[in-house]
Amino acid sequence: MDAKRINRRQFIKVSGATAAVAATGLEGVLAARRAPAYAQGVTLNMVRWADFVPASDKLLRDEILPKAEKALGATIKLETINANDIQPRITAAIEGGGGPDIIMTQHNWQHLYEKGVVDVTDVAEKIGKAQGGFYKQSRDVAVSGGKFIAVPWSVVGLMIAYRKSWLAEEGAMKFPATWEEYRALGKKLKAKGRPIGQTMGHTFGDAPAFAYPYLWSWGGAEVDTNGKVVLNSKETLESVEFMVGFWKDAHDEGGLAWDDSSNNRAFLSGTICATLNGASIYIESLRKPDQYKTDKGEQLKTDILHATLPKGPKGQFAYHVPFSHMVMKYGKNQKLAKDLLLWLGTRENFDPWFVSQKGFSVGTTTDWEKHAIWKEDPIMLPYRDAARLGRAPGFAGPPNAKAAEVQTKYILTDIYAKAIQGMAPADAVKWAEGELKKIYG
Amino acid sequence: MTVKPIAGGRGGAATAALPRSRVSPARGLGGLLEDERSLAYLLLAPTALILTMFIAYPFLRGVWLSVTSATVGDPGDYVGLKNFEKAWNDTIFHRAAVNTFVYTGVTTVFKLAFGMWLALLLNREFRAKRFARAFILLPFIIPTVLSTLAWQWLFDPTFSVINWCLWQLGLITQRINWLGDEYLALVSIMIVNVWRGVPFYAISLLAGLQTINPELQEAAAIDGATPRQRFWKITWPLLLPVTMVVVLFSVIQTFADFQLVYVLTRGGPANATHLFATYAYQIGVGAGLLGQGAAISLALFPVLLVVVIFQLWYIRRTETV
Amino acid sequence: MAMIEGSRWRKVAVFYAPLFAFIFGLLFPFYWMLVTTFRPDGELYRPWNRANYSPFWTMHPTLEHIRYLFSETLFGTWLYNTMFISIVSTLISLFCGLLAGYALARLRFNLAGSLGTSIFVTYLVPPTLLFIPLAEITRTFHLTDTPWALILTYPTFLIPFCTWLLMGYFKTIPKELEECARIDGATRVQAMVRIIFPIAMPGILSAGIFAFTLSWNEFIYALVFLSTTQQKTVPVGVVSELIRGDVFYWGPLMAGALLGSIPVAFVFAFFVEHYVAGLTGSVKG
Repeated sequence: MDAKRINRRQFIKVSGATAAVAATGLEGVLAARRAPAYAQGVTLNMVRWADFVPASDKLLRDEILPKAEKALGATIKLETINANDIQPRITAAIEGGGGPDIIMTQHNWQHLYEKGVVDVTDVAEKIGKAQGGFYKQSRDVAVSGGKFIAVPWSVVGLMIAYRKSWLAEEGAMKFPATWEEYRALGKKLKAKGRPIGQTMGHTFGDAPAFAYPYLWSWGGAEVDTNGKVVLNSKETLESVEFMVGFWKDAHDEGGLAWDDSSNNRAFLSGTICATLNGASIYIESLRKPDQYKTDKGEQLKTDILHATLPKGPKGQFAYHVPFSHMVMKYGKNQKLAKDLLLWLGTRENFDPWFVSQKGFSVGTTTDWEKHAIWKEDPIMLPYRDAARLGRAPGFAGPPNAKAAEVQTKYILTDIYAKAIQGMAPADAVKWAEGELKKIYG
Repeated sequence: MTVKPIAGGRGGAATAALPRSRVSPARGLGGLLEDERSLAYLLLAPTALILTMFIAYPFLRGVWLSVTSATVGDPGDYVGLKNFEKAWNDTIFHRAAVNTFVYTGVTTVFKLAFGMWLALLLNREFRAKRFARAFILLPFIIPTVLSTLAWQWLFDPTFSVINWCLWQLGLITQRINWLGDEYLALVSIMIVNVWRGVPFYAISLLAGLQTINPELQEAAAIDGATPRQRFWKITWPLLLPVTMVVVLFSVIQTFADFQLVYVLTRGGPANATHLFATYAYQIGVGAGLLGQGAAISLALFPVLLVVVIFQLWYIRRTETV
Repeated sequence: MAMIEGSRWRKVAVFYAPLFAFIFGLLFPFYWMLVTTFRPDGELYRPWNRANYSPFWTMHPTLEHIRYLFSETLFGTWLYNTMFISIVSTLISLFCGLLAGYALARLRFNLAGSLGTSIFVTYLVPPTLLFIPLAEITRTFHLTDTPWALILTYPTFLIPFCTWLLMGYFKTIPKELEECARIDGATRVQAMVRIIFPIAMPGILSAGIFAFTLSWNEFIYALVFLSTTQQKTVPVGVVSELIRGDVFYWGPLMAGALLGSIPVAFVFAFFVEHYVAGLTGSVKG
């Protein structure tokens, strides 16, 4: 028995190996042998956020990176941490002169760390060119002075998740196209105890992802293309005045206290009719279909649809959260780190990860809109080309360190929060303008 | 250098008071250990070693950062007091300053009052007091990040248990927007801080109470002193050295509180709950402006230093009396 | 111990009622965590003003969250790491603090005042940004990503604390006790170790308990100085693995919070016994 079992195990092993050789062919073997000599015995450390989709982290750790290890001939260690905790890690690493070779960023963080990172233009351009070109937002946040300071990785789309049946009850078969319509509809819904949910607190994702495009859609902006502060305008004031009424009429007033996770909870518990969010609400409702029910006892997942933020007087905008990877300057294996990013970014290696995200993250280039995954679930379809509308923080100026400072101080969110809390809109705008001028000088 | 003769004089006084303390150096190590001064330095050596190794440099580095235009990855240039000037004119900094003082002042009073009360209660005999004493510490044991997450839920506008209780009791008809209201948000973080801090006060003061000889209390009781009199005339003065140290540490920690606000509100809504530490973090780490961040966190260092030196002097004085 | 005077009613009013109020207030959040640990998500996500909102009970308790915590994360390892780091750094700090506290409280030497103050002042250094230069130091000493990075840096805030707390307790001990021993022929060190330290036991234990707790729930150094998942401590590990984007894994998070604090409370309950033993010793001595 024993001998037989061993034999069988050996057989499986051998046949597995032959299968692998057969699958990758001669080229694969050659590629493996060609693994650069400088990579032998080297360990690359990589830090990313703990992905909203745990399966993607598992895939990366158990399948994609081991493959990359073979291709590059190096050991790769992946560490995942809570997104909010990445910045102190980057700061300590750069200042301390050592740490992970590759670190993931969100938003336009790389502009804060420009002096600590390596130029990755060659890698990024190769990926962008091969895959139909980067979205404007993805490119903008990763480029400084004509050079890529990080390699764009993905974009987490933020759209409004809403309750199909509740909107239909008010006669809205389609999601409102303008702020005015959205407010009128929200007013009716709030009267029934089904308000719109939106955070106005200090949160990483949802607050700026609403406040920025909302301001832009009215024609307001923090700076013009020359970097001059132009916030104190008629358009900005209008947007603030409208927001105050909009909040009272249609929003859940608890929103001032919310963090990024609060609206997920409120939506899943059936207290709000719509909220701007990543696809995480819908995906969570898919994951645990029996835990989340509608008031009629149906599975909540059947009552969710997605829509873009409504249009303002000056157009329609969005802010999606871009993710990129920086290669750190203190690293001893920069070339290898760049090779890894190129390897991960190529179509066939990125594909399984992209699929595992199920639309929560979209690609940074237009080619990924053509992916077969978009045919699977019509509810996720709106995310497909969401990133096209996205602009980077700092718009209409560049998304540089100053823009990052504005975002970090939550100034554009707080104009609205202050006005909602009772400050005169004109004063709130003036206050924000003062703060912006101190930053932009 | 000029201190020396005075110090020598003090040493002489010590010798006079305790004749055995000066022994002839011929007795080697034993003599070294019998000499007050050398023994003292010996006993202080491990502390001095660790603190200079790990604090001296970071502290000097922090002070240096605060007078430079350093950003992450860029050492920057010397800019004098410009960072402090910028903070001085910053409306968010003003808000953080006011918040920090209010936060520290109010919570300290409550923590001391509740902590003392609880310590007195726990000092009595009752069943299961051993477990009561240990489990009372739970709010202090549990990692702040995690307990604050639980509080976030207790305050959550959609799910607040507190609101539910008040509603069931008929005290409110509408929910209370704990973390969303400009003033209530600060009150909320103060509640959590007091909740976390009371066990620390209670248990340290309890340990202090236990070193007080109960015979003193009994003697006073026989002399007809009321419990109130006994507290103010016996317990309070004897407990004062411990109380002062506990308050001092708690004040400093509260003043530099970070995690609680960082998890609960990140300084929102509209900066209503920013403290020095959270704002300094936001500027230094969030926006990468290390120089400015350091300036913000050090802005009150001199004030704190004066307060602490004064208080330490006072503690030592009350102790020697 | 002090007798409780007056009628039974009075005893309830001045003793039991406030005591229970304190216990209720301090432990209520833990009760909520306990319920959340066993609550399926569907029951958790119920708004406060809904009829089926049941904050104090759960209808369909589940062990799923605890299972998740132990099978999908390295919670056990983190618990061990945290324990190891906290115990060693507490012992180091207590050792230093005990000696330094004794020297500052009991010995007369010319720099006593200024050294005491400088030890305290290190506590004033704002910790929020301290982690940046400290990261540099741990790197220089090649400590990064080992438990020693924390074991050696935690004492920086624990020693000042222990020293001063113990100084306070030493001062409450009458000098005569020590002098008697020395007249009987004990050396300074003997008097310190045999007479003063045992009497100060309640103080030492409480300093130890606090030092332990402070290292137990430290966050930012643990976050920055450790990077391998296997090396992490409970607070950092739990937050890193169970907060995913904008979804919190409430059940496992709260299970982690509880399992990471209640065992410590039991250990403390054991120490509290000694607390009292120390007291009786001091009175008789």
